[in-house]
Amino acid sequence: MKLLETPLMTRTSSLRGLAFLTAFALTLVRAQAEIRETSVWWLPRNVNMFGHDVDFLFYIILFLTGVAFIGVFFAMILFLIQYRYRPGVAAIHTHGNNALEVVWTTIPAVIFLALAIYGNEQWSKMRRQTPPANALPVAVVGEQFGWNVRYPGPDGKLGKMVAAKISKENPFGIDLADPAGLDDFTTYNEVVFPVGRPVRLYLGSKDVIHAFYVPEFRLYQDMVPGRVYDFVWLKAEATGNFQLACNQLCGQGHYKMFGKLSVVPELDYETWAKGKTPPPVTMTGR
Amino acid sequence: MSTTTLNHSIESHGHDHAEVTGWRKYIWSLDHKIIGLQYLFTSLGFLFVGGGLALLLRWQLAYPSTQVMANGDVGNPLSLPFINPQFYNALFTMHATVMVFLVVMPLLIGAFGNYLIPLKIGAGDMAFPLINELSYWVYVFSGVLLLGSFFVAGGAAASGWTSYAPLSSVSAYNGTQIGQSLWCVGIFLNGLASIMGAFNYITTIVNMRAPGMGFFRMPLAVWSLFITAFLLLLAVPVLSAAAAMLFLDLNAGTSFFNPANGGQPLLWQHLFWFFGHPEVYIMILPAMGMVSDILSIFSRKPVFGYRAMVYAMVAIGFLGFIVWGHHMFVSGMNLVLSAAFGVSTMVIAVPSAIKTFNWLGTLWGGSIRFTTAMLNALAFVLMFVIGGLSGIFMASTPVDIFVHHTYFIVAHIHYVLFGGSIFGIFAGIYTWYPKMFGRMLDENLGKIHFGLTFAFYNLCFFPMHNVGLGGMMRRIADPTAYEHLRALQPINQFITLAAIGLGFSQFVFLWNFFRSLRHGKPAGKNPWNATTLEWIVASPPGHGNFEVTPRVYRGAYDYSVPGAPRDFIMQNEPEPSDSPQGKVAGRKPVTAG
Repeated sequence: MKLLETPLMTRTSSLRGLAFLTAFALTLVRAQAEIRETSVWWLPRNVNMFGHDVDFLFYIILFLTGVAFIGVFFAMILFLIQYRYRPGVAAIHTHGNNALEVVWTTIPAVIFLALAIYGNEQWSKMRRQTPPANALPVAVVGEQFGWNVRYPGPDGKLGKMVAAKISKENPFGIDLADPAGLDDFTTYNEVVFPVGRPVRLYLGSKDVIHAFYVPEFRLYQDMVPGRVYDFVWLKAEATGNFQLACNQLCGQGHYKMFGKLSVVPELDYETWAKGKTPPPVTMTGR
Repeated sequence: MSTTTLNHSIESHGHDHAEVTGWRKYIWSLDHKIIGLQYLFTSLGFLFVGGGLALLLRWQLAYPSTQVMANGDVGNPLSLPFINPQFYNALFTMHATVMVFLVVMPLLIGAFGNYLIPLKIGAGDMAFPLINELSYWVYVFSGVLLLGSFFVAGGAAASGWTSYAPLSSVSAYNGTQIGQSLWCVGIFLNGLASIMGAFNYITTIVNMRAPGMGFFRMPLAVWSLFITAFLLLLAVPVLSAAAAMLFLDLNAGTSFFNPANGGQPLLWQHLFWFFGHPEVYIMILPAMGMVSDILSIFSRKPVFGYRAMVYAMVAIGFLGFIVWGHHMFVSGMNLVLSAAFGVSTMVIAVPSAIKTFNWLGTLWGGSIRFTTAMLNALAFVLMFVIGGLSGIFMASTPVDIFVHHTYFIVAHIHYVLFGGSIFGIFAGIYTWYPKMFGRMLDENLGKIHFGLTFAFYNLCFFPMHNVGLGGMMRRIADPTAYEHLRALQPINQFITLAAIGLGFSQFVFLWNFFRSLRHGKPAGKNPWNATTLEWIVASPPGHGNFEVTPRVYRGAYDYSVPGAPRDFIMQNEPEPSDSPQGKVAGRKPVTAG
């Protein structure tokens, strides 16, 4: 950023800029920042198996765009200095160069297409890969302004979820005729995942569009009402406490629609789950 | 009506409406220049309104009124208690709505489009002057409705400028009463104004070019507005239809978008983004065109690769209609569809790259004058490059799902819309102000304004990339509510202070703008020694523009032609029979013009 400003700024503005920067620095020192495991200026740590591919692609793009920007930036600065107005020196009269046009059309086209193909491959890999058989099914249904979460009981199976049945009384759209659902238990704004075990999500919404977003999982999925999303799965690779945030504007209380998300050792998960009992008959979210 | 009669009536019209004089001129003049100025003043006014809304919402992000302090007290001593979460949602909704529909589009298309098109193509006025004036007043009315909605019961629309249904389509969900409906009406009328402008521009450019002004002799500013007009004509009606449907959902019991009654929320997203992505190019293409011309004027060089620039803009126009789906990668899109949108989105980056390289090519070998207009144009190029490159991250679906709806995307859009469009607009104002008002803007004040704006702009928007990567969502009224965002709060305060600096820097511009109306140096006909037709007439040009319709003999960029007596040859200067026509390329000294 500093690089960006120096050549074009006037002297006055750089002085004022400096004064402002100092004021900012003071704010930074005074502020009661909580400790974060990673730098506040960069990505949070990644704990999801799929996150590595996302981060890898991110760094590839960062590298390519970084090189492109530095190239354009320095070419511009160079030209501005070299071809600044000097008395008696005229500009070169040229209308262009077709060979150059071909070169600088082809190179970006090849790079962009390669990026598109590679990115798409990664995306298909994430989406097509079916979750392993031992995946823990968890249903998450958003509502204004909180998260209904449903876990399988001792049978390890979630009751069947039907989008059309999602309602105030039946937030998960549970088919009451399905016996697998009878032992399921529910929580509100509390999500617990076992570490190292795949988790398959069933995402839905009761009212408006919400979005399941956990930056440390490199995961974002819109939950459009009227539909159950069953293709999202993840595998947490480390334990820790995170926040499940709604990341699609959902109304007045949107800013505080978040839940506690913990990744715990498998045994702790079992203990936690055993302490929960299924709600009687209607299986509401709360 | 046959083509011949149409052409005839258009050609003869130029002076058929009488000149309106005195104060009435600014209310009901049909002169394209006055309408251009009406658009200019009105949208600059809205710019300050939109900026004020931005500062309020930035203040809330730095010092949230909803914050619970360490000691259990509610509220931060610096917070503004009237910004509650609902009002905050209305603030960012209306900030974007105002900036997109009442500032950037009207400035680029309404102000510059109206002012420059007839002058640059050698026409006396627009093809349909009455519709032109009507378009302005409909625009004003849409602005009054949109801003007035702050004062109705329940407040202004609060479901984002994207107004995703069913949040927007059910009052109980979005917490407003009539604000959202007023938004629909405002957007509908605003679209009507755009459509009226668009077909007027197309007709004017196709039919009313001066003799000799072939399409490929038009300056790029005119080309860009021409292409933009087509985008408007094809994209805006879709938004108008969507707004009408949303209005019906809210007020007439229909259920286009509400799944509870069989509607489809994704329908809204498709309609909105079918408009919304061409809209992105509507808001940047005219700035690209103007900046191309400005770089050429102040490098004293022809635009590098003029035809490539035109074709690139045409390509952007076409491709702009088949990339809208990339806004919906996160909605659970079919893989084949997301692959197609991913590829088209990457491909649309190619013409933007071509334009960037040609801008650099224009600078290469030039004789560069660092006027305020030029500095703003250079900032446009550099900021647009950053905004364009950061878009690559979103074009790649796996990365998009990580950065989507975070501040990274807020940074991206502001690099394109402020770093791009607004710097382009400033460049345009500094260039054509002398033509509009007959006086020069003060260069020193201009450079102070530019320096401050450029510095604060980057201090404000660049760190947004970082907080976005750090996981900060957009559209949340209180980042401190989240444990994982609390550590980012000092950066948020930093951004807010920079935003305030950015806002106050604009008063330098305002001072310069109004002071120079009376005290600026007289501009003369052609203060920049430029080649295009608007510079052959008086500043400001009289009613009807040209006393005699000019004849055009050459392209728009004959700068530094070897052997020519001056370093520019105007478009209406005939070819001297003895001149060695531009065959020799070399850096030979020529007499300055």
